[in-house]
Amino acid sequence: MKLTVLMALASMTLSGAAFADGARLFQEKACWACHGKDGKTTLLPIYPKIAGQNVQYVEKQIQDIKSGVRATGNSAAMRGVLPLVSDSEIKEIADFVSKLKP
Amino acid sequence: MKKLLSLALSLSLAGSLAFAEPPASKQVGIDNKDYTWNAPAVEKNEALKLKGDANRGKKAYEICTACHLPTGAGRPSGPFPQLAGQHSTVMIKQLVDFRSGIRENPTMVPFAKTRSGPQEIADLAAYIETLCIPVEHGRYEGSDANQKIAAGKALYEKECIVCHKANGEGDKDQLYPVIAGQHYTYLLRQLIEIRDGARRNANPQMVNILKKLNDNDRVALAAYQASLTMEGKMCPANIATVSALPAPRKK
Repeated sequence: MKLTVLMALASMTLSGAAFADGARLFQEKACWACHGKDGKTTLLPIYPKIAGQNVQYVEKQIQDIKSGVRATGNSAAMRGVLPLVSDSEIKEIADFVSKLKP
Repeated sequence: MKKLLSLALSLSLAGSLAFAEPPASKQVGIDNKDYTWNAPAVEKNEALKLKGDANRGKKAYEICTACHLPTGAGRPSGPFPQLAGQHSTVMIKQLVDFRSGIRENPTMVPFAKTRSGPQEIADLAAYIETLCIPVEHGRYEGSDANQKIAAGKALYEKECIVCHKANGEGDKDQLYPVIAGQHYTYLLRQLIEIRDGARRNANPQMVNILKKLNDNDRVALAAYQASLTMEGKMCPANIATVSALPAPRKK
């Protein structure tokens, strides 16, 4: 028990780059709230399933929504979250999403 | 033209969200001459009367954690407000206002609209009210913080204290929000959005006050507000926003 607490504490202090993997970012950056934890059980039917989507496509769309180039549909909802997400994090999230089972 | 645009906007909004529960009552916002702040609304009145169950609320809150975090702390950088310890009455009003469309925010609205009804809203509000207010929230970081906070204090005591009270505790019965522990950038943004009518559910009294303020006043005011603490409601210093981050996945 003590060990688990210690490990949890250690991982907290080490968080950031060391643990920055797509799965954590997918949760931490709030993606799952709309797209579903599996990338396909979406909050509303107007939101896309993204599990297994092409990695380059995902990265491009996130970038375009962040910059405002893509401003159609529901992108306004997602844009509110993107100030939290850096370019390198976008790459990691896109990679994670592309590897989810469609 | 403006009317036509807003009509088109509301039509397209209504269209895109048509499958979600339509709002029970159509409310006019602050941009309308017939607007009254906190006008009675069926769903709000019902949720305010119901007894919220914090345990059920905790379950319902799971989806909220994505942005507002499990602690309710939101994000110190300001895109998402701190919610922990907010009056249940205020949470109910704001959630219902998001649902009825009188408070607009494209990120938040879909989450508000997918709640099942007054009971779930009351449960969520009850749970959020039980959370302690994190102490490590976003503050004004300028090198002139002391001067700004002092200037903000004077303004606050002149203009805000009647409703938001000495420690930013607001007023549960009047539906005035807790602002102690709120993030500086979030507060600053609200001061602007409320002044400009972007928050269509705003209190006109507050709008009138905010119209008198300049950029400096607003920064000072938000700096002071973000420095407020409510005795007995704050989290112990060592469990703050950091512990709210989801633990890294085990490899």
